[in-house]
Amino acid sequence: MPVVEVRRLRKTFGAVTAVADISFAVEPGEVFTIIGPNGAGKTTTLEMIEGLLVPDAGEISFGGLTWEKDGGKIREMIGVQPQTGALFDLLTVEENLRLFASFYRKSRPVREILEMINLQDHRGKRVKVLSGGQRQRLAIGLAMINDPDIIFLDEPTTGLDPQARRNIWDIILKLKEMGKTTILTTHYMEEAEKLSDRVCIVDQGAVIALDAPAALIGRLTKEREIRLNFAEGESAAQQAEELLRRQGNVTRLVREAGQLHVWTERPEAALYGLFGFTQEQGYRVEQLSIREMSLEDVFIAYTGKEWRD
Amino acid sequence: MRAWKQFPQMFSAHLKMTFREKSVWFWNIFFPVILMTLFTVIFGGNNNEFKANVAVAETQPNEASAQLLAQLEQLPGLKIHGDGPVTEEEGRRLVLDKKVFALIVLPSEDNPAVGLVVHRENERNITAQALSGMLEQFVQQANYAALGAAPVFRLDVETVTSGSDELKFQDFLLTGMIALSVAQSGLFGMVGFVEMRRKGVLRRLRLTPASTAVFGVADLAVRFVLGVVQIVLLTLVGVFAFGARLHIDAASLIVAFFVGVLAFNALGYLFSAVSKSQEAYMGLANIASFLMMFISGVFYPVEALPEWLQPLAKILPLTYFVDGIRDGMVYARGIADASFWIAVAVMLAWGAVAFLIGARLYRAKSIAATR
Repeated sequence: MPVVEVRRLRKTFGAVTAVADISFAVEPGEVFTIIGPNGAGKTTTLEMIEGLLVPDAGEISFGGLTWEKDGGKIREMIGVQPQTGALFDLLTVEENLRLFASFYRKSRPVREILEMINLQDHRGKRVKVLSGGQRQRLAIGLAMINDPDIIFLDEPTTGLDPQARRNIWDIILKLKEMGKTTILTTHYMEEAEKLSDRVCIVDQGAVIALDAPAALIGRLTKEREIRLNFAEGESAAQQAEELLRRQGNVTRLVREAGQLHVWTERPEAALYGLFGFTQEQGYRVEQLSIREMSLEDVFIAYTGKEWRD
Repeated sequence: MRAWKQFPQMFSAHLKMTFREKSVWFWNIFFPVILMTLFTVIFGGNNNEFKANVAVAETQPNEASAQLLAQLEQLPGLKIHGDGPVTEEEGRRLVLDKKVFALIVLPSEDNPAVGLVVHRENERNITAQALSGMLEQFVQQANYAALGAAPVFRLDVETVTSGSDELKFQDFLLTGMIALSVAQSGLFGMVGFVEMRRKGVLRRLRLTPASTAVFGVADLAVRFVLGVVQIVLLTLVGVFAFGARLHIDAASLIVAFFVGVLAFNALGYLFSAVSKSQEAYMGLANIASFLMMFISGVFYPVEALPEWLQPLAKILPLTYFVDGIRDGMVYARGIADASFWIAVAVMLAWGAVAFLIGARLYRAKSIAATR
């Protein structure tokens, strides 16, 4: 039975439709990622589920509990890290945790949380002096203080440097190990691919695809893009182009001076023929890459739009 | 109720946040002390002692001028410039250059008038008026003597106050400053809520089972603590540094303080409900505080205001708070007095109206779309 289920959610702000029609169900223990460009309606969706916004239409159910009837119970069983940190700046890390712990019936020991978010050494520091990554970890710590079954993380890594981002990933993976259900939003495709059990791609307030990352990518065509550069430059590239076009296993080909972009469903066959030719001619291939398909391609395939971070 | 179990932690959090903010200390404690010092020095300092530096010009020495000069030299507080009389021109220049406060031109046989020359800046100055009074008295006596008559009527001056002892200006000022500071900490104190709303902290609390009512009450409780700290520190400074003498009636002081803190924090709460930014809030609080500071009898009695301003003073809550605090700290009366209860009622009315409007605005703005 899903722990969170939303059906046909809709929310408009004046003339702007933030969420047009969103439905999904989150299974216990999974990392469920909502991904989409800025303004796709991720945060609005999350805020409706968290009880901050009342949807114009649609239903939200936490395993049978609804906000209308069981608001108090739901608040006890969820933990939220909102997009803006929203911490008490003049209190220390530990004081923030203790204050939030006092709001709930049950709470996890502050010491344990400090360890999980790796802020033991900064427990006595005021929030004001923490770095962006440390603040974000504290915000996640506050979301875990009541030992919730369901944790919402709204863009936890936005604006962080790569190391700080990886620290947050570690926390999310730890939550998964503990059997918690995590609902995450991000606009980093790489992050969604690495962390999620399932990804829900949202654009213009509607779900455009929902599945495990590998399954989503698998649904795309088998076409791969190969890029190569020749040390000998344009003339070598030109000859290679002619050869590839004759081979017939290439779907599309673009040449920019000494660089070739080749799209093919059978990269090994295309390259086999090409390497035989370069060997013969004594040409040297300087750079060669076969690009993996990623969630970005899924997004492009479904929306026809460019993906921008 | 379960929500009240959250109170101790919330109170402790508010207490830390309030007293860790340096500006709270500055505006609520040090600033009133500075203001009190300034006002005592400007209006209250040594109000029985008269002091002035004057030059004396004697155009033509004669009996009358010598007599007047001799009397002037004996006046305590009056210091005569140089070793003795100067010429009138010299004297006028000294006044213009502000080397002396005034020039007194002694009478001559051609001109029996006693001249008093002061800089126009000081025309309405108390010292100028006192000097002119003294000289007038001298002229009058000289006139009587010339006529060979003795004065029949005389003037006796006595001051009264409803205080059990004689009320000094310092006592009046100190209690005014205490009331003003407590009122200001209420008017300005809710700026934290604007910040918490802007940063999403209030939204964050709504994501938890935290009770916003208990959170607000915990903040109010800290405001009371701050008020008590203000009263104690300012009283100590007033009594030990400025020699204020107090007659405290604990019951009326506590009632006036309690009601006043509620009323002014309610006003601050209303300001926080209508302000989008810290700047907007500070603007509102400043207008309110300045308006009331000068109209509500903090530094001088309300009766000293122009007639047309007096009805306004009768409406403002600070007028009643100042009265209430004075009732409790210097007049030692209050609960037995009908006017005290009127003051309490006016403050409560202000507080209730401000709170209800504020609460309605908060609900309309941030919670309407939420649960």
